[in-house]
Amino acid sequence: MAEPRSSAWLDDNPFFVLGVSPDASRIEIEREAQKLLGMLELGFADAQTYRTPLGLRPRTPEAVRAAVAALRDPYRRLIAELWARHAPPPAPPVEERVAPVPPPSGLRRRLGWA
Amino acid sequence: METPLYVGIDLGTTNSAAAVFDGERVSVIRNAQGATVTPSVVRLDKQRRMTVGTRARRFVEQDAANTATEFKRLMGTGRAIEFPGAGVSRKPEELSAEVLKALRQDIQDQLGVAVERAVISVPALFELPQSAATSEAARLAGFARVELLQEPIASALAAGWRAEDDGAGTWLVFDLGGGTFDASLLETRDGLLRVVGHDGDNFLGGRDFDWAITEHLASQLAVVPRRNNPAHAAALRALRLAAEDAKIELSRGERAQVTLAQPLVIDGRDVDVDLELTRATVEQLCAPLVDRALDVCARLLSAHGLGAGRLAKIVLVGGPTVMPMVRQRVAARLEASLADGHDPMTLVAQGAALYAATAGLDGRAATTAAPAGRQVWLQYPAVSADLTPHVVGKFVGDEGPDAPAKVTLVRNDGAWSSPEASVAPDGTFLTSVSLLPRRACTFQIQARSAAGALVAVTPPALTIVQGLTIGDPPLSRTLGVALANGHVQVYLERGAPLPARRTFTHHTVETVAKGSSESVLRIPIVQGEMGQADLCRLVGTLDIGGDAVKDTLPTGAPVEVTIELDRGGRLSARALIPSIGQVFEHVAHLLVPDAAPEALDAALRDLRRQLMELRADAFRHQLGHVIEKLDRIEARMSEAERDIDAAHGGDADAAQRARRALLDIDGTLADAELARKWPQLDEEARRIAITASSTVGMHGTDAERTLLNEVLAAMDKARKDKDAPELERQMRLASRLTSAAFNRTSEAWEWYFEDAASEISRSTDLPRANALVTEGRRAIERNDTPELRRVVNALWRLLPADSEARKKAFDSGVR
Repeated sequence: MAEPRSSAWLDDNPFFVLGVSPDASRIEIEREAQKLLGMLELGFADAQTYRTPLGLRPRTPEAVRAAVAALRDPYRRLIAELWARHAPPPAPPVEERVAPVPPPSGLRRRLGWA
Repeated sequence: METPLYVGIDLGTTNSAAAVFDGERVSVIRNAQGATVTPSVVRLDKQRRMTVGTRARRFVEQDAANTATEFKRLMGTGRAIEFPGAGVSRKPEELSAEVLKALRQDIQDQLGVAVERAVISVPALFELPQSAATSEAARLAGFARVELLQEPIASALAAGWRAEDDGAGTWLVFDLGGGTFDASLLETRDGLLRVVGHDGDNFLGGRDFDWAITEHLASQLAVVPRRNNPAHAAALRALRLAAEDAKIELSRGERAQVTLAQPLVIDGRDVDVDLELTRATVEQLCAPLVDRALDVCARLLSAHGLGAGRLAKIVLVGGPTVMPMVRQRVAARLEASLADGHDPMTLVAQGAALYAATAGLDGRAATTAAPAGRQVWLQYPAVSADLTPHVVGKFVGDEGPDAPAKVTLVRNDGAWSSPEASVAPDGTFLTSVSLLPRRACTFQIQARSAAGALVAVTPPALTIVQGLTIGDPPLSRTLGVALANGHVQVYLERGAPLPARRTFTHHTVETVAKGSSESVLRIPIVQGEMGQADLCRLVGTLDIGGDAVKDTLPTGAPVEVTIELDRGGRLSARALIPSIGQVFEHVAHLLVPDAAPEALDAALRDLRRQLMELRADAFRHQLGHVIEKLDRIEARMSEAERDIDAAHGGDADAAQRARRALLDIDGTLADAELARKWPQLDEEARRIAITASSTVGMHGTDAERTLLNEVLAAMDKARKDKDAPELERQMRLASRLTSAAFNRTSEAWEWYFEDAASEISRSTDLPRANALVTEGRRAIERNDTPELRRVVNALWRLLPADSEARKKAFDSGVR
């Protein structure tokens, strides 16, 4: 059985996937998701990745749909907010790369995910 | 620009209906007889002439053998329905296709359009094989593309669409159809509809009302016909049709006369039927069935922490809800008002049509006219709750002097136009529009070149409807892979938005020998909410035979399994075996298993024995709440017994119902077993709480500590409520947090290693296991945790799967 990935709330956090703040209203979240799905469908370059404290991650339509579904559920939104608010600031994009970049050295360990 | 035509179809067990939505109004389609509902009945006569709907229903009594009804309940079972007159048989999906064809023709007759795309509703608790059969029926009926939508969502969408006050709050959709009951809890806020949860009974419906009345009538005849006797089937059918008519009559009057023109022939004797039925009798007969539905509602409300009186509104759907007794009982027990002004018979079809708009599924065939001007690909929501949604676009074609550089969207009423949006060098642009509440707004696309010249574009306009909307259709049942240890690896949780895809890596539990057809790696795909594989339903298997692999797969070989569901809930699965670079994709779609009456008898005997043991034990320990639970289970067993009786009489539908009921009872008994073990469970919960607090306290991150506090609070609540399944769930979460924190310590992997090393005598490959133990010892000396972790994982893979657990997990070959 695959082990649960505890770091999922940092790199798959719905707020990071959608690029919205934890204070975003429900309508803002839906609007952003709909925009991102459209941009991904038409191949917009700036929709392909999103920033997380662990670096850039590739953004997929599945991830966007899952993110918006998670934020529709008040309980899951609460957990996502908790993680998004307590997370260190997103890692600055060191260079434009689509593939996930390795996290800055020592960050995983500091966060306790090493 | 033509007005859109969105089509919704309610393919019901007893009746079906179709509706269309043009962006502003929903209309229900009338059939050739002028009715808004079409009976789901198909007749095939001796000359193989097919009749569908009202005309076919007239033959249910006089030519039952050649007139099929209620075939929806056999969808996905692969069971053929015989038409002896014509000497042919048809699958349930072929018969459903005939009903769909009739509805499609009605739309064409009324609107002059042969629709190719539609949304078809299915019960919330439909499983994958049943949904696949529905899609197949649509294909056979000539639809090029369909999406399936759960009936309660359709009802809520239709009811919410018209609500003046946006219907804010929590709603309950009480959908009692001909054959199924669904209770759904929904919430509307900011024009967005969310499914909070649902529950139901796949085998409770209006026909159970009819059977209850039929059996009452039968008991008063001079010779009593029995459901377990195939020779009495014709007499019971005639009586049932009369019962159905009387029930409808009693929705308005106080008394009805049940008189048959022809005497029934039972055991060779003519038996006259001339009986009186009162509303009070019918209500008395049906009340336990309504209460059963209300029990489901109570369970659903309590699962979401809602007491009676907390609902904003109740939407009633389905023919049986027309009965005054049903309406009164529902409103009284749930202490909420009923939503008025909806037609319970066509609400589902109306909601399906509204959803077709949300999904952008215009019923008309795509036009093939040559594009005039520069083509633009657009992405926008066809229906939006948001008043200012985004529009994303991309122009196709070469750059040049006439390439669009700026875009403006102009609303057709001329009262609004968007700010000018710039087109990027790759032709893309992003803008937003302003909608009018509850209206369909069309926007002309005005593109200009860098020089300011107007550029013609195709399509020239786009339409967006403002109104209540629901996002992606949610998955109705959790989907996963059964593992050799009897557990389920969940891939997609109930409620996951569709389409969805997920990949996990498993490992084989035994060698698959190259070239051997007997050696098969089986990956069972299951659906259900239980963590144990045997309590879930097998919906497909991915079999990889030794004769298909390029090379022998050793025990522990990694297998990457991907499960994918499209928007309509169609399943596909893929297994990639990296070591040999092969991909396997053929999923054997299973049917709902056939329920042989003898097997059902045996299963019922087993469950009764279990129930007796649990009851004796509960009495011994004076566990009142367990005894109550067991009483309820026993009542359900008696119902299942009646169905098994009918199954012996050849009623395939009753057999399916019994099979399903037994499976549910099995799950409930497992819960009761948990409740019986309450003292041990409670003790275990304390132990886990203590371990979790100290481990997470010492080694956990801040976030883990916060989460643990929430879990501990939930454990406390479950202990107070004596809710064993919930307590177990929270205990699993606490254990996971504990192991996440524990795994971070230096001694964790040493501990796992020693534990695995002590069991290597049981391993499937002793020399390899011995070698791994040596490697592990060296890793400990070197303090090399990553290496030790690798060794432990490899050792775990060499330990055998328990054969009993594996059998229960549908012979799964992966862990």
